[in-house]
Amino acid sequence: MENLLNIAIFLPLLAAILVGIVRNEKFSKVVSLSISSVVFFIMLYLFLNFDWSAQGFQYVTKLNWIPSLGISYHVGVDGMAISLLLMTSLVFVSAFLWSLKIEDRPNLYFALFLALETACLGVFSALDLFLFYLFWEGMLIPMYFIIGLWGHDRKVYAANKFFVYTFFGSVFLLLGLASIVVYGYIMTGTISFDYTFHMAFSYPMFLQIAGFLLFGLGFAVKIPMWPVHTWLPDAHVEAPTAGSIVLAAVLLKMGTYGFVRYSLPLFPDASKYFIPLIFFLSLVAIIYTAMMAIAQTHIKRLIAYSSISHMGVVTLGTFAMDLNALNGAIYMMIAHGLSSAALFMSAGFIYDRVHSYHMDDLGGLARYVPKLAVLFMISGLAGIGFPGLAGFVAEFLVFLGTYKNFPVWAFIAGVGIVLSAAYFLYMYKRVMFEEETLSEYRLEKWKHLKDLELHHMLSFILIIASAFIMGLYPYPFVKIIEHTSRYVLGG
Amino acid sequence: MNWNAVIPELVLALGILLVFVLDLFSDKKHYRLLSVISALVPIASLISLLFVQYPARTLFDLFEVNALNLLGKAILYILTSLAIFSMHDYYEKKGSVYTELSYLPLLSTLGLSILISSVNLVLVFVSLELASIGMYVMVSLLRDDYLSKEASYKYLMIGSVGTSMLALGSVFYYASTGSFFLKEYRDENSLFLLSMFLLLSALALKASAVPYHFWTPDAYEGAPTPITGYLSSVPKVALYFLLVELLGYFYHLKQWLILVAILSILSMFYANFVAYTQRSVKRLMAYSTIAHAGYFLLGLSLADPQLQKALLFYVSLYAFASLGTFTIMSVLEKRSGFSHHILDYRGLYKDHPILASLFALFLFAFIGIPPMALFVGKLTLFMGLVNNMLLPLAIALVLASILSAGYYLRVVVSLFLQEGEKRFPPAKVSGGEALTLLLCSLLMVLLGIFPNLLYDLIKL
Repeated sequence: MENLLNIAIFLPLLAAILVGIVRNEKFSKVVSLSISSVVFFIMLYLFLNFDWSAQGFQYVTKLNWIPSLGISYHVGVDGMAISLLLMTSLVFVSAFLWSLKIEDRPNLYFALFLALETACLGVFSALDLFLFYLFWEGMLIPMYFIIGLWGHDRKVYAANKFFVYTFFGSVFLLLGLASIVVYGYIMTGTISFDYTFHMAFSYPMFLQIAGFLLFGLGFAVKIPMWPVHTWLPDAHVEAPTAGSIVLAAVLLKMGTYGFVRYSLPLFPDASKYFIPLIFFLSLVAIIYTAMMAIAQTHIKRLIAYSSISHMGVVTLGTFAMDLNALNGAIYMMIAHGLSSAALFMSAGFIYDRVHSYHMDDLGGLARYVPKLAVLFMISGLAGIGFPGLAGFVAEFLVFLGTYKNFPVWAFIAGVGIVLSAAYFLYMYKRVMFEEETLSEYRLEKWKHLKDLELHHMLSFILIIASAFIMGLYPYPFVKIIEHTSRYVLGG
Repeated sequence: MNWNAVIPELVLALGILLVFVLDLFSDKKHYRLLSVISALVPIASLISLLFVQYPARTLFDLFEVNALNLLGKAILYILTSLAIFSMHDYYEKKGSVYTELSYLPLLSTLGLSILISSVNLVLVFVSLELASIGMYVMVSLLRDDYLSKEASYKYLMIGSVGTSMLALGSVFYYASTGSFFLKEYRDENSLFLLSMFLLLSALALKASAVPYHFWTPDAYEGAPTPITGYLSSVPKVALYFLLVELLGYFYHLKQWLILVAILSILSMFYANFVAYTQRSVKRLMAYSTIAHAGYFLLGLSLADPQLQKALLFYVSLYAFASLGTFTIMSVLEKRSGFSHHILDYRGLYKDHPILASLFALFLFAFIGIPPMALFVGKLTLFMGLVNNMLLPLAIALVLASILSAGYYLRVVVSLFLQEGEKRFPPAKVSGGEALTLLLCSLLMVLLGIFPNLLYDLIKL
């Protein structure tokens, strides 16, 4: 059992090396898809066997790695981690399925995605601060090249912006890690990067504040929180579809995951101290970026802004200091992972067929691609928190919990939900309906538009089915997530 | 006289004589063979390190061996050997074969090898000069190339300023302590302070820290590229091993920290800003060296074993990364018409995916992205600074690192994400170059994942 987790983490990396060596297009596709499926099934198995009544981390492996620096190879999962791992592995399967038809340098493409998968899985399972950072940064290079090589017109600009912003945040994260490790060293005389070692500490307030800010800056850039969010719309707009899927569904979660995993338990007092700041930033994110989304005419940019807005809900719930709200926040991470993946697939599909992301170039598409129209609608509803889909449960829990402790803030944030319905429906109307915009030219050109193919359908079904399962039967998921929330809130 | 302590240097010296004699009696066409022989000489010295009994002193106690400087020598020898291996093809292709090339690097390495064992300022002076003169000549060895001559001249002129500062510093040291031996001397009179200032300045000049950096971009750009690789790796390692030694004698001076902090902050920020304006990648890498001199000097701000361990770990790996980078550049330069203008690097990935990937690997290593080993160096340096409550310096290091990401990325962008405009004939990698590249890149990743293989060997 313990080894299964390690196998799942490193299997994609091995596959990436293999793909890089063999350099055969068909081989790359088959290997990527099958390896990512294997990883998914391992994660599913671990998820189903997770004991939510037991405390602490499970499937733990701890090996000596760099003893002189107190660094060990230490991985393990709790409820939040295993849920995110499951979501991550699922999203990667979808992303690979989606990319089956890619023609431009497929070997490198799949190798980079496989390497990226290892980094993502590693981030969510690392229990050693050094290992965590290693995986955290490990995703930077593959993603950089994915955006830079397969992106659209301004890909280089977007890739560089993505890299520099994220690197900026990470270096502060590194400084934060170094600070708490050094403090631990001064206090106990042992130098250790181990997460559980640091969990046992209670740091003095000055260190908590410094640590919170340093870690927080790293996480905030990745989430991204307002005002360090500007890299995200560019990265999304320019990234290839599968890149956007992974970016939105998985990479953004690393930041919110970091807050729950590191900031709250390690710096509890500083977290309370900074609640007003975080709330303010979250509300700005929720409302301001939702309004930005309404103003967009580029569908991918719109979805990108909506992601920032939804991440605001996550940070709001995380710092509401309430069990329900925290459950909701973690639930939201997974729910948003699914819905944003589905939305980016829809946008990517439209681009594949019509070669435009601009609403003015679209309109009346529903008549030509009915299957997509249905799935796009469901994806959007999942995104805006429609009952029966995962997002609803998440938002409900977040607002329930936040309302209890901070009613005014919760009320203001609630406005964001209305806005989210507005921007999505507005976009959907302009893209799918509005048949009056169908010119002769479009009628002629779109007559032969092909609807979703099998591999597209499979991708969609995987994601949307999960969103329905989580929306209709949330109990086991909430239970397993609560495994984390309870100890994070010190209960 | 304890001959045992100087075995590696003896082996090196005999090797130099051997190559020298062979060179006298053979033609130019045997250059390749000669350089292979000379590349094997440091390997022999490396092996001979195993027979040295340490700690020991010899040469009237001027020369000391201990675990630390033996490690330093081992790294020097490996680097030198790799540097020589990667040279011969370049010179043949450039049609600029001078057989003295096969032993000049060895002469410099001999100087550096003695340097890190010196505990007496006279020996420091002599060995540093031995090393420097070799390097002045090597820089000028593209004799038909104007830039090469200019670089050498500039290097020589500014190098002599360094020499004089070193001499004057030693004299002041003698005047205040009554001896040329480096020893614990707690008196803080102004003469001693002045000697510290001059010695540090002289070594900072060799390490190309701002404001003594002026020779660096020109010498790096003008020198034959494999020699640039040598310049940016071998002497750097030796210098920092020496500086760590010196720190033990000067750290109690209050002004030491201030001086080191000023030098390092100036180097980091000045170089990182100026690097952005460079159009030549070779020059850009020269500025990167200056910036790294800044990072390294941070490791000397206080006497703290952890900090110095981090520094030595970092600088050793940096040397390998740097050697690797310049080896790639010299491979590319062998193609006719190639200049180091950034436009010429565009689209390299299309033609030479492996070279471009290795180049990117080294560049990412310089930024400090894991799993490349330089990241561990930066991390331990951070931790050392934070541990000693030197937070402003730690933050300066952070900011400088972020700043540097941009210009390294610009090179990565032109390698991978832009289309080339000019067409060059395909680049051929010689066996020696392949060996160098393979070893440097392997070390970069291997020591990034298992840093303790080297880190634990650094015993302070």
